Amino acid sequence: MKTQTLFLHLSPLLIPYVSLFCAGVVLAAVQSVGLWSPVPLPSGLGAAYTRLWSSPWFYEMFGFSLYVAFVSALLATGGGTLLACGIWGMPALLRRMSVIYKATLILPHIAIGFIVLVFCSQTGVLASLARLVGMITLPVQFPNILYGGNGFGLILAYTYKEIPFAILMVLGLLAGFDRRLFDCARMLGASRVRIFFRILVPSIAPAMHSAFIILFLYAFGAFDIPYLLGESKPAMLSIEVYNLYFKRDLTNRPLALAMLMLMFCFSVLFIMIYSRVVSSLTARERKL
Amino acid sequence: MRRSTLFVMLVLMMLLVSCGGQDEKKDWLGQDFETITEAAKSTEVRWYMFGGWSHVNTWVDTWVKDQLLSRYGIRLVRVPMDATIFINKLLNEKAAGKSTGSIDLVWINGENFKNAKESGLLTGPFTSLLPNFNALIDPRSIAFDFGYPVKGYEAPWGRAQFVFEYDTVKVDPAPRTFEELKTWIIAHPGRFTYPQPPDFTGSAFVRQVFYTVTGGAYQYMDGENQALFDKKSPELWKWLNDIKPYLWQQGRVYPKDSTQLDTLFARGEVDMSMSYHPPHAQTKILEGSYPNTVRTFVLQDGSLANTHFLAIPFNAPNVPGAMVVANFLMSVEAQLSKYRPSHWGDFPVLDMNRIAPQQAAAFAAVDLGPATLSAAFLAQYAVPEIPSGYLEMIENGWNEKVLREK
Repeated sequence: MKTQTLFLHLSPLLIPYVSLFCAGVVLAAVQSVGLWSPVPLPSGLGAAYTRLWSSPWFYEMFGFSLYVAFVSALLATGGGTLLACGIWGMPALLRRMSVIYKATLILPHIAIGFIVLVFCSQTGVLASLARLVGMITLPVQFPNILYGGNGFGLILAYTYKEIPFAILMVLGLLAGFDRRLFDCARMLGASRVRIFFRILVPSIAPAMHSAFIILFLYAFGAFDIPYLLGESKPAMLSIEVYNLYFKRDLTNRPLALAMLMLMFCFSVLFIMIYSRVVSSLTARERKL
Repeated sequence: MRRSTLFVMLVLMMLLVSCGGQDEKKDWLGQDFETITEAAKSTEVRWYMFGGWSHVNTWVDTWVKDQLLSRYGIRLVRVPMDATIFINKLLNEKAAGKSTGSIDLVWINGENFKNAKESGLLTGPFTSLLPNFNALIDPRSIAFDFGYPVKGYEAPWGRAQFVFEYDTVKVDPAPRTFEELKTWIIAHPGRFTYPQPPDFTGSAFVRQVFYTVTGGAYQYMDGENQALFDKKSPELWKWLNDIKPYLWQQGRVYPKDSTQLDTLFARGEVDMSMSYHPPHAQTKILEGSYPNTVRTFVLQDGSLANTHFLAIPFNAPNVPGAMVVANFLMSVEAQLSKYRPSHWGDFPVLDMNRIAPQQAAAFAAVDLGPATLSAAFLAQYAVPEIPSGYLEMIENGWNEKVLREK
């Protein structure tokens, strides 16, 4: 097929991608430097980047966002893989019933945020149940899950929402897995743990890696769950970007866009380095 | 060959559909009000306003819409959108050169008005064309919006004043000054908090503390003075940091906005809430979210008062319709309807000396409910808003000196 016809055929997809997404990234990059601003800016070109470079709060927020994203993606991928293997090992009837895991997939992230907020706050559903049973008498006696200062509420919400996604991706690969390898290894005397790590994981590893990258980068930059459950300090980067862009004076926009550009560059770098590392590790493994 | 032409046509169609039409713009600002009213008959007016209060939405969608339809034949379309979001939309439209937009009228004030005016997003000056504005409004009372000159670019709609809300069962008596509030907070650790600036209500609370501890608001009315702020602000940070360990969650976490604070108050996690709207507590009692023992109080050191306005974007497709709606909303009937607590309870913006005595009596006769303090009472403690450049300094300073302070 000629390149021209190829472009024509792809154009309904390419045009929105280039004009909306790529143009958006270019606009953000240009405005983050200080050009094309709707109001006159007090500082020179690139001032936003120098200001971020010397702001300890930016590094703190960056580190916290990385921590929340990493822990929730790890828990979701690990938990999702174990659950997927469990589902795959179930008899056929139970396996068909297990499709209810997809219920959480349908709910939007913000609904999960609400669920966690309503259930886990110190005057929420669980606390009320505890009071009813007689375990506590005052709200402050209920453990401070959401606002303990370690991002636990965020991690809980992200993990709960993302486990079904990991299950979905891993089950997709497991469907094509040959059960006879499993039976053969059992006959040769391998323990279940050994089978899991040496046979199952290498074949579902591509799904696990993809799920981890997607979930990590999503949790790193998402706005909806931190808006409901996030704390003031430590805070996630996306909330600070929102505040700087929408709620403050227009002269703060380059700063918000500079943060966004740095997040974007980090995401791209992360994917490149992660893929490089994973392919170099798998190249050394013995293929069956 | 035929398939490629089909694809080319599809692509061209997509591009054409996304481009808007460019109409000729008539200069409505030079016409008289009769011509404008004639041109506005049987047209559609799209009004973009904050949609977070369901009782206000209901009032606009029923009473205001019906009145406009029966008086002028105008079809009002209310679109819920935060001010910061539609300002962003207008900025993008201006940068893209879109001369006919989709917003006719907006509900706006304060920092958002300043941002919009400075970026050239508004049509005006237009208020001198509106008969109700000329007859019923005291021009001195609305000359400034957060210390920034209005110059006829927005029409006043209602007044707001900052009040605190408390449950009389849990807090008795209510503190009367900021000193008493500070003593109460320290005596009741974990039972008070304020929304995190740059939220509108949280920012207002911090501003009030700023006035009180630095000697009043009037010293700041002369434009933005960084040196003055640097000299006076340490007192503010000291007060806020003094109460910080005794706040809810030891001051590590602040509710994101006033809605979250209201939820904490309604659920009993904190004992006081705050609102920039005096009728807010009564509305919540009527809704059933607050117990009916909730009352409001103001601190004698002063409570922020401001006016909220209506403005017309630069690319409004129906400028005469927007002007007729803005004029109607300033009329005695509309202001009285808005003042009723069953509709909204928002304070009127009319000058009581300029309206007929029986109409003024009608305003005085409205029963605001037990939780709302009367406009006359609140007016004693009203202090004005300072230029919005100080807001930026306060919000920056709060992040550095209060939130990130160890």
